[in-house]
Amino acid sequence: MTKRTSQSVRWVGQGMPRVDADGKVRGTTRYVNDVDYKGVLHGVVVRSPVARGILKGLVPDPAFDWSPIVLATAKDVPGENVVVMHDRTMPLIAEIGAEIRYRGEPVAVVAARTPELAAEAARRVRVEVEELPPLLTLQEAIAIFKATPEKLDSMKSQDIVKGDVATGFAAADEIVEAEYWAGHQEQLYLENQGLVVFPQKDGSILAEGSIQCPYFPVHELNDCLKLPPEKIRVRQTAIGGAFGGKEEYPTMLIGYAALPALKSGKPVKIAYERNEDILFTTKRHPVWVRYKTGVKKDGTLTAIECDFILDGGAYLTISDVVMFRGILHCAVAYRCENVTIRGKVARTNSFPCGAFRGFGAPQAIWGIESHVDAIAARLGRAPHEYRRQIHARPGDVTPTGQVLSKENGSTACLELALKRADFAKKLKQVSRGRLRKGQRKLYGVGLAFFAHGSAFTGDGEAKFKAKGRVELARLEGGKPVVDIRVSSTEMGQGVHTIFTQIAADALSLPPAHVRFPMADTGLVPNSGPTVASRTTMVVGNVVHRAAQDLKRQIEAFASLRFFQGAPAELRASQLVAPGAKPVPFAKVAKALLAEIGPASGFFQFELPADIRWDQATFKGDSYPGYSWSANVAEVEIDPLTCELEVKRVTAIVDVGRVINPTLAAGQVEGGLTQALGYAIMEKIGTGKNGLYDAARLQTYIIPTALDVPEYDVKFVEYPYSFAPPGGKGLGELPMDGLAPAIANAVEAATGRRLRQIPITPESIFAALHAPQGGTP
Amino acid sequence: MSTVQRTWKVNGKPVRVRAPAGRRLLDVLREDLGLIGSKESCGEGECGACTVIVDDEPVVSCILPVGQLADGTDILTIEGIEKKRIGRLIQAAFIECGAVQCGFCIPGMVVSSYALLAKNPKPSAKAIREGLSGNLCRCTGYTKILAAVKLAASRIPAAKRK
Ligand code: FES
Ligand code: FES
Repeated sequence: MTKRTSQSVRWVGQGMPRVDADGKVRGTTRYVNDVDYKGVLHGVVVRSPVARGILKGLVPDPAFDWSPIVLATAKDVPGENVVVMHDRTMPLIAEIGAEIRYRGEPVAVVAARTPELAAEAARRVRVEVEELPPLLTLQEAIAIFKATPEKLDSMKSQDIVKGDVATGFAAADEIVEAEYWAGHQEQLYLENQGLVVFPQKDGSILAEGSIQCPYFPVHELNDCLKLPPEKIRVRQTAIGGAFGGKEEYPTMLIGYAALPALKSGKPVKIAYERNEDILFTTKRHPVWVRYKTGVKKDGTLTAIECDFILDGGAYLTISDVVMFRGILHCAVAYRCENVTIRGKVARTNSFPCGAFRGFGAPQAIWGIESHVDAIAARLGRAPHEYRRQIHARPGDVTPTGQVLSKENGSTACLELALKRADFAKKLKQVSRGRLRKGQRKLYGVGLAFFAHGSAFTGDGEAKFKAKGRVELARLEGGKPVVDIRVSSTEMGQGVHTIFTQIAADALSLPPAHVRFPMADTGLVPNSGPTVASRTTMVVGNVVHRAAQDLKRQIEAFASLRFFQGAPAELRASQLVAPGAKPVPFAKVAKALLAEIGPASGFFQFELPADIRWDQATFKGDSYPGYSWSANVAEVEIDPLTCELEVKRVTAIVDVGRVINPTLAAGQVEGGLTQALGYAIMEKIGTGKNGLYDAARLQTYIIPTALDVPEYDVKFVEYPYSFAPPGGKGLGELPMDGLAPAIANAVEAATGRRLRQIPITPESIFAALHAPQGGTP
Repeated sequence: MSTVQRTWKVNGKPVRVRAPAGRRLLDVLREDLGLIGSKESCGEGECGACTVIVDDEPVVSCILPVGQLADGTDILTIEGIEKKRIGRLIQAAFIECGAVQCGFCIPGMVVSSYALLAKNPKPSAKAIREGLSGNLCRCTGYTKILAAVKLAASRIPAAKRK
């Protein structure tokens, strides 16, 4: 651990080891499946066997002994049968007579003493459905859209308009138009979904488990469970990865488990095995995106017109906001006066898609970053030179009319990436479909440049008002402890460590004095969900300010109690006052706890007053701050087998103030590796039977230690000064740009542009043997 | 299914086990012996989260029926790793290098790293990658894990590098 060498040592900015590392390397950390919940029943969801139809009946097998089984159906939903996410269309569980909209839609929940018995009972419920023809894939939906746009069943549409694209196209010398596709992606957290619902004597419920956003179910299940928010208490256990996959989905899982729990009065646990977890939980939204761009000979972008359509699956859930974040990233990184972006969420009879790291932005950036290379190629310009010309800088105006602030490392990221990767030189060595002298494999290098908006869209944070407390409330082993009380969850990303650093600095105490208990809605105020690259920037600021507030209270107490009213300051674990002997913090804290009781610092987040956002027109300041990045990928392709290897990746990142460089680099490397999988390995789609066509780790392939390239990750710091300590969003950014950087490198290697990810040896082979131009 | 009765050495201590022959070693460890450090993720031998060392070889315990393990089998799990010097070096290096995120893969990673370094205390970069290629991690991108194993190896005293 880093040593305190002087009073002025600050923890923010240091690569302090994780506060939760010890239990994780020793295997003592308890995830939900490691806890022995005495007396729980095990729940299993009974699902629709078809993708679309009318639910006619549920017939329990009369030959089966149902006496030890709790069987809950829609009839057991205490309130209105609806999970309230961003609309009110999705039932918790399908009702007899209602339309089934996706394969695997829950129709009942059974619970029993053992998982095996519950699984057997689930098999003994005959689900009768009168089948209707389903529309299963985005490909089918886009075919409809192309033939008759108004016939697309869109659950939500939103446009962004700046200037006038018609004028822009009229002024253009060249029009460049192309379509890009991306498929589903599975979060594949290593710990499967799991949680337990405990019914309480007063009719309330307590849920605990692998839950990314404990406050979501508190507000989304009120109507269906007929319980007010204060009667739904949710807390996290240690989370073995989430990446968005445990964001909104556990709300449904709590709802499913609550039915037999409330019916029987016994706690019910639902824990998925891998197979069920892959088949019946949310995925990243597939996308079809079409860009039509106008460009002058000198490279000026005169118009960007974009259709961005996501496959939302059968219900909206949160897909509107995923689409919003997507369209806000479709053209934000480049200068252009005339922009029209049309976003839609197509309804299909497939499992509802959901949150996954990046939340629409990777799909958008996949399109635009492929397309900018295509424009550069049309102009005969090198991709990096062209991006140098058109990339957005401070003072530039985004498609929604936001003026980019100075706290913006866009140019620094681009230039440092080009330099560290030696891009210009390497570009001269690319194969373009023919092995050069000395090359045994086709070699390519590709670039992507992009921004990621931090925190909720627009004035979302101003409206939400994230709240948090920092408390001096207890002694542990005789030592006073400061507790951080916010709803941010630790999922591996490191929030427990970096908030400890932030609070330690704000209080001028060593991290050993700071604790960060697991989020529990019964104990912590709502500082919002742990999503949207908002935690460090927004909640980090709340912790910083609340800790400062607590520090002032401790100082005021010390002043009266120990220094006869002289102003006291808490500095390096001591209370100091002019001309007096310093008093150790521990002594002051103990006196405070004994004489007054617990003390608590509080803060509620605000945005700068001049942030403007119009949700109806999508005009204004779409994000409080932007993180920036440039990625360079180098690839080698075997000309015979078309096997693709990503050899080296350079990622330069501006996430503002870096709180913990070791953890931050780990986030980037991990995100890049998920993006690597998205780009070249992870293939899953809705099959003809309505089920995902990869259901296990044998068929859904993610990167292993043998697949990861050499990473060169560096940070440039342009802090968000409004919210000290000045971090911007980090979690999602590394997921955004590697797929197009790889596609651009593949184009440089093969001379063929691939417009669909994942890029597989098969798709490279097809492109190399296509008459021209790459995949359609 | 027939029940077997066995005496193994688990983390250095003799342990009597009675279980159906087809019961998975992972379940015996986690449920019967309370050794919850070994994790289950895929349950079919693909991810390495359940890795333990059986008679000096790393194995995935989720697909290993206990009937296959004879009396006297020597089993080392994550709970026993810290009693080994190389094990402690690995754990310290994982912490120091920032190789841990959500932690779910980490017991398996540490056990696989131990299996590697116990046999080959000076592995090449390639050998480290190969030694860990059966352990999936979704969080870290492996880079810091590979660095941690390298660091741990560099700290194994020369005398131990048999
Ligand atoms: S749980 Fe055993 S290999 Fe995945
Ligand atoms: S640290 Fe999360 S899976 Fe490896």
